[in-house]
Amino acid sequence: MDTKWNSMDDKPEALEQAVGGMVQDAVKTGNTAIRGGGHPKRAQQTKAAAGFLAFFLGLSLVLSSLGAMAGRLAWERGAGEWWKDDWQETEAFRAETAAYLREFLTLAAGGRLDWYDTEVVREAVSGTAASLYAEVAYVDTPVRYEPEADKPGNEDFYYRSDKNVLYRVSCYGVLKYSNLDSGQQLGSYDDLPEGYNFFLAFRPEQGGTVSIWKDGAEVDVYGGGILTGESDWFVPGYENFPAGEDVRGVTICMAVRETPVLYYQRDYADGGYTQGSRMYYVCQSLQEGRGFYFRQAALLGLGLLLLAVWFILRREKRLADQKIASWTIHVWTELRFLAVVLPLAALLTARGWNVFRDIWWSFSYSYVEIEELAYWLPELVRSLAAGLENTGALLCLVWAVWLIHNDHRYNPREKRRNLWRFISVRLPKYPFQKRMNRLNLAAAVLVCVLPVTGVLSAISMGLSPLHWLFWLMAAVPGIAAAALLLILRKHAALARDVGRLSGQVESIRNGDLTTPLDLPEDADLRQTAESLNDIQAGMHKALEEQTRSERMKVELISNVSHDLKTPLTSILSYAELLRQEPLEGAAADYARIIDEKAQRLKAMVQDVFEVSKAAADQLPVQLERLDLAKLLRQTLADMDGPIQASRLTFKLDLPEDPVMIVADGKRLYRVFQNLIQNALQYALEGSRVYLSLKTGAGRAEASLRNTSRSELPEGVDFTARFVRGDESRTGGGSGLGLSIASSFTEACGGEFRVETVADLFTAVVTFPLAGE
Amino acid sequence: MNECILVVDDDPEIVGAIAITLEREGYQVRRAYNGLEALDHALDPAVRLILIDVMMPKLDGLSALIRIREKRNLPIIVLSAKSEDTDKVLGLSMGADDYVTKPYNPQELTARVRSQLRRYTSLGDIHAEGRGRLIVNGRLTYDPDSLTLRADGDPVRLTPTETRIVDLLMRNPGRIFPAEELYRRVWNEDAYACENTVMVHIRRIREKIELNPKEPDYIKVVWGIGYKMEQHG
Repeated sequence: MDTKWNSMDDKPEALEQAVGGMVQDAVKTGNTAIRGGGHPKRAQQTKAAAGFLAFFLGLSLVLSSLGAMAGRLAWERGAGEWWKDDWQETEAFRAETAAYLREFLTLAAGGRLDWYDTEVVREAVSGTAASLYAEVAYVDTPVRYEPEADKPGNEDFYYRSDKNVLYRVSCYGVLKYSNLDSGQQLGSYDDLPEGYNFFLAFRPEQGGTVSIWKDGAEVDVYGGGILTGESDWFVPGYENFPAGEDVRGVTICMAVRETPVLYYQRDYADGGYTQGSRMYYVCQSLQEGRGFYFRQAALLGLGLLLLAVWFILRREKRLADQKIASWTIHVWTELRFLAVVLPLAALLTARGWNVFRDIWWSFSYSYVEIEELAYWLPELVRSLAAGLENTGALLCLVWAVWLIHNDHRYNPREKRRNLWRFISVRLPKYPFQKRMNRLNLAAAVLVCVLPVTGVLSAISMGLSPLHWLFWLMAAVPGIAAAALLLILRKHAALARDVGRLSGQVESIRNGDLTTPLDLPEDADLRQTAESLNDIQAGMHKALEEQTRSERMKVELISNVSHDLKTPLTSILSYAELLRQEPLEGAAADYARIIDEKAQRLKAMVQDVFEVSKAAADQLPVQLERLDLAKLLRQTLADMDGPIQASRLTFKLDLPEDPVMIVADGKRLYRVFQNLIQNALQYALEGSRVYLSLKTGAGRAEASLRNTSRSELPEGVDFTARFVRGDESRTGGGSGLGLSIASSFTEACGGEFRVETVADLFTAVVTFPLAGE
Repeated sequence: MNECILVVDDDPEIVGAIAITLEREGYQVRRAYNGLEALDHALDPAVRLILIDVMMPKLDGLSALIRIREKRNLPIIVLSAKSEDTDKVLGLSMGADDYVTKPYNPQELTARVRSQLRRYTSLGDIHAEGRGRLIVNGRLTYDPDSLTLRADGDPVRLTPTETRIVDLLMRNPGRIFPAEELYRRVWNEDAYACENTVMVHIRRIREKIELNPKEPDYIKVVWGIGYKMEQHG
């Protein structure tokens, strides 16, 4: 192999470059084959499969883990705190604590907790920054409805059994609610029961502020004293968010367990249920989140490892890619499109649907403000990122794109299939113009729909005709539609011209060479139509000239033939008469020679006449069904005399069964007569002549082989007129034998060819087999 | 004999050569060099046969032929350089009794002349003998009872096998017999590789009955199908 490629070193550079890639591949595969031993091809296939599998699994794992993590990070508020060891340091915990405080304040102030209505909260803290408070303090804790909670003095029913949060609520010194066990104290951080490390107090003596202790140290609750979006604790007591008048005498102490546990409520017989335990779930979700991210990170690592394997096998993987491309070629383009669009839609709408809806709604009410976008855009991005959580759709999308890319890399564009073509080739064929008109009509209808949809969507958004956006939504599509309609009109005119043009091409093909195509002066295709007319006129002229010259040729042939025959008749007649005279010595010889040569001239004149007619396609043939095998036997029987007289042996291989073809028997007899005569004349003395007839693939093939007496010149067309193997013109024969055989065979609808290998001469006559 | 034959051709040498040939056979020859001259001579009742060329000045051979046919019933042989089948068919349909192409073979020409004359003179004999029994096909007359074949009235000597072939063919003029069928019916044996045998016998019969055995008028090969007896008027 090496020497072979080395020998190419002296080839031109361009060639070397062209084959370079191929050579490299060949050498490489050759080497791996040698190393792999045994079955190089199987080893290669195994590697390709392994490479692809590594690529597929690796990329899938990397993408799905990254997608899941990104989606969770984007969607879950506070999900980014999963790495914190202490669950009480998280925003979720602070929010939950603040919620507890809010609810206790509400209860203490005599308000009622309606779990489905925020208005109650608003009432309870009236006089404070009510609207802000009410908006945020949305109590949606899912709680089973218990009539117990409606009894007076029993409003804290839902909090009592959950000992993750201990509380004591009093108002002007009167204890209102508490879930402390007897003997438990909840006065300050120091007398917290065992296992509790978080303490919150809201006391009248603190002047409407909240103090918090955690792990023995007091926490700075208010920071700068002003409540902003950045503040940790959303509790009353800020300068801009003081506690309301209603809660002036309220004292609230609450403690939170360091490690919350799940409390079961109600009786065991009922199966028990886990109402409450809110702090437990806050802690739990943090741990769950941590586990999630660790798992995803592990999958990511595994995926990267597999991708490394792929990187090593990336060349071998190409084989697998090609194999896959050979499968995907059959998939319609429309299905490919769906394979991309469906997962994409799933990704966009998984989380983003609500955001789209909110955007739509916010725009449908008349307070459309550009500033709104500043809020919605990041929200939209976040929701789209959150969609990545849907890893199934993500993988579908990525692999669909990869498959299409792979397909486009290995399969030429023209081999791709699509449903539209699949259907359209099965639909009845309408003329070009009609098809284009239909298309134009459909396009026009669609275009007219544009402004209507604009107006309809403006109305659906609740925009009144007085609003500028209404007119924008109606006018822009309207203008576009008008422009498109104008273009379509132009297009229809063009389609009409193209239709007439293609109709003209069709009619020229069908033989109409006299009717020119007249397009309007201003037509875009006027120039093309005129060119076509010129071509048509040119063809017409050429055809007429050709017909005339054919006719003249045939006339010439038959005139010349006649003119030659008349003097020849005299020569032959008088030569014959001369031979009948008593001649002396040499004169008798001369008369004999004249007679012989004149006879030969007669044969030649007849042959020339026939060959010329055949060449001008003027040879009359009477086609009929006949048995080629029988015709060959008859010909041999007819020529039995000369064959016996020769010193040649004829070896026959003719089928017993009839070989039916359609041909002119007389002409075909002449074909084989000439071939046999040719063999008799030129075959090596004492050699064998092989005549065989074979059938197969709907054809009958008769061949005659003989060894030439003299050396056969190379590169000579033996079927050309006056060509003979021996190049000398002294032998008998007109030199037209093979030419007659060839032209007669073709006139009958067969094929004739001559093959020469060294001294072996083969003439082959082929005919299509006739049906029953 | 001394029957008078009219030879018409625009080439005097050809007329001369034909005249010499025919005169050596004992015929009287009259010469004409175009169609109009031919018409003048043709009305002479002494003229018993006309040999006429087709392409001639003043009046061409075929037109002359039609005019002569209006006046006289005598054998007319067309002699033409036009050698295609369509030309022959045209000449024969115009009323010619035979069609000889140039360059002609002198022996064949005289044989055809003799044949035509014999047919015209012996026609009466056939009528007299009672034609119901006889099968007449052009120059050939076959008597199925006595199994005798006559060509131009002369009896043809045939071997028993040849007689059986002739019997089959004369009884079915125009019908094509594959070699196998001929063999089975004549030899009463299974036909196997019989093509050569049949062809040998047919060639011998042709030599006995045809004017030019190389271009037979009666027993013809239908290439790729079989053999047949051509039907003549």
